[in-house]
Amino acid sequence: MMETFSALGGGFTVALTPMNLALAFLGCIIGTAIGVLPGIGPLNAIALLLPFCLALRLPPESALILLAAVYYGSGYGGRITAILLNMPGEPSAVLTTLDGHPLAKQGRGSAALAISGIGSFVGATLSVILMSFLSVPLARIAVSFSPADYVALIAFALSLLGAVGGASAPKAWAAGCLGILLALVGVDSGTGVERFTAGSIELLGGIDFTVLAVGLFAIGEILLLIETKLRTEAAKLGKGQRLTFRELVFCLPAMLRATGIGFVIGVLPGAGASVASALSYTAEKRLHESEGTFGKGDLRGVASPETADNAAQIGNLVPMLSLGIPGSGTTAVLLGALLMYNITPGPLLFTQRPDVAWGLIASMYIGNAMLLLLNLPLVGIFARLLTVPAWVLYPGVLALSFAGVYAVSNSAFDLLMAIGFGVMGWLFRKLDVPLVPIVLGFVLGRMLEDNLRRALSLSDGNVAELLVSPVSIALWVMTLVAVLWPLRARLVPRRAVAS
Amino acid sequence: MSPEGPRLSADRLLGVALIVIAGLTLWSAQSLVVAFAADPLGPKGFPSAVATILAVCGALLLFGRGLPFAWPERRAAPFLLLVVMAAYALLLEPLGFLLATAGLALGVALLFGARLWMALLTSAATSAALWALFDKLLDLPLPKGILGA
Repeated sequence: MMETFSALGGGFTVALTPMNLALAFLGCIIGTAIGVLPGIGPLNAIALLLPFCLALRLPPESALILLAAVYYGSGYGGRITAILLNMPGEPSAVLTTLDGHPLAKQGRGSAALAISGIGSFVGATLSVILMSFLSVPLARIAVSFSPADYVALIAFALSLLGAVGGASAPKAWAAGCLGILLALVGVDSGTGVERFTAGSIELLGGIDFTVLAVGLFAIGEILLLIETKLRTEAAKLGKGQRLTFRELVFCLPAMLRATGIGFVIGVLPGAGASVASALSYTAEKRLHESEGTFGKGDLRGVASPETADNAAQIGNLVPMLSLGIPGSGTTAVLLGALLMYNITPGPLLFTQRPDVAWGLIASMYIGNAMLLLLNLPLVGIFARLLTVPAWVLYPGVLALSFAGVYAVSNSAFDLLMAIGFGVMGWLFRKLDVPLVPIVLGFVLGRMLEDNLRRALSLSDGNVAELLVSPVSIALWVMTLVAVLWPLRARLVPRRAVAS
Repeated sequence: MSPEGPRLSADRLLGVALIVIAGLTLWSAQSLVVAFAADPLGPKGFPSAVATILAVCGALLLFGRGLPFAWPERRAAPFLLLVVMAAYALLLEPLGFLLATAGLALGVALLFGARLWMALLTSAATSAALWALFDKLLDLPLPKGILGA
């Protein structure tokens, strides 16, 4: 207990330096804006910003503070369009439209915006508190993990990708495999052999994470956006009676339940904020079934998914920091960012780089307070972002993407490769192949091979010894369930799906 | 079209493509050898295993029928955008950041439906603003090109 407080104190000395405060503030603004704009999510934004952090030689803790602020800030932005326009700015804000938009139509838009902002703050802050106390104990358990246990843990995390998220399981696993294979391009650190480079000198050092991320998420998204007919919609801001204190108290139990659901779902690998907000909304709706107000404009129906969304975002960071296993696509990108700084997240991060780990955690207390203060009065300004036409926004986004890639590598080859990954991202989106497993596979691929190599060296090549410890047996059983569960529909006779 | 979708669905094409990629990976991995076996796994064991899983996933996609491919509403636009981006990648170093970025922004703005003079304005503003941000404020290395900027 006291340890946590003193470590957290150390974190605040990092987070409270003027530069880190300014970066957290900048990240919060960018994050909210990104959340408002449909089509640009936190993943795209972090992929875009990462090369600049590297090119500017920001210290790792500062880069992480900025990128993480964009990440959790986006959870505050997605709700704005969901409530005002019935259009979720982020996938995890879909549930917010159900009660948020009816409220806006009833003239309670400002109340819905206020309760969702407060819910986001409550969910995020309570989760940061939980994270402060849980990360180190979790890391302590993980320190005792053998390489074989890690192989099982990574396999479990990757297999879960098929079980959660809407896409078909074989597609999610195929995407994960592709991500792993992409990570293996270049000289193999274990044997010194050149793999899958097709004789290209540029590929010897491997594929740069920023090239992959910018290509898949920034360029691919714009290719998808440009092929649909251009539509414009005007934003209108909710007026009417503001949120009252009684309403806030009325929503508080819903927020606490949502924090619990969101945080737990977030900590589990593979499940993200979208799952958490859906689950939390459904649970809350079922609890108040008899009142029949959900879906017609119940404030709790706005507070619940928004709180769970932000709680899950923070929860996602826990396995990334203490195990080195990211729980979602965006945390995979954050993990990739740390790897580019030659910092390996995982159990030793809290002892070896407490400035990074605790600096980040401390900055999240500050960042969420900033976001609440930013979001309550400035919601109108953020909503106005929607009136920026696509032809002003996307030339800038694309130019930024290319400038970022070029600033890291100074190579035109990397620009072409980013365009190639953009085409891949575009086609995969059209084919309903999820992109998140590619990123997860990419950041976990080398880790998986290294651990497998270490485990097999320890056992002299005996594969059976991968299954010796109780931890690895339990994880492999869970992996098996995660693999077979989505396939059960294929194993039993298929019912008619078309209705 | 039957409710189950066409026989040559996008999913099946994807499945075939995944199997081909897995096959190429396996074939390429077989040529990876090390002179002495320092560790039991070697360079090809892991990629071969992953490629095998990839092939199985591809095969699973062949069974379901899935939906037909969603053709773009604007068919030419994505390909024109690809041309603009490729031209940018190839011309960035010879032309320099300012000119190349202005060209990129002009092309993208036009493809997103801007009128010509609006696109010209956007392009000039985007390239000047980014140049000021990177070169003057952040001091990042940008290709100078023929304008010296």
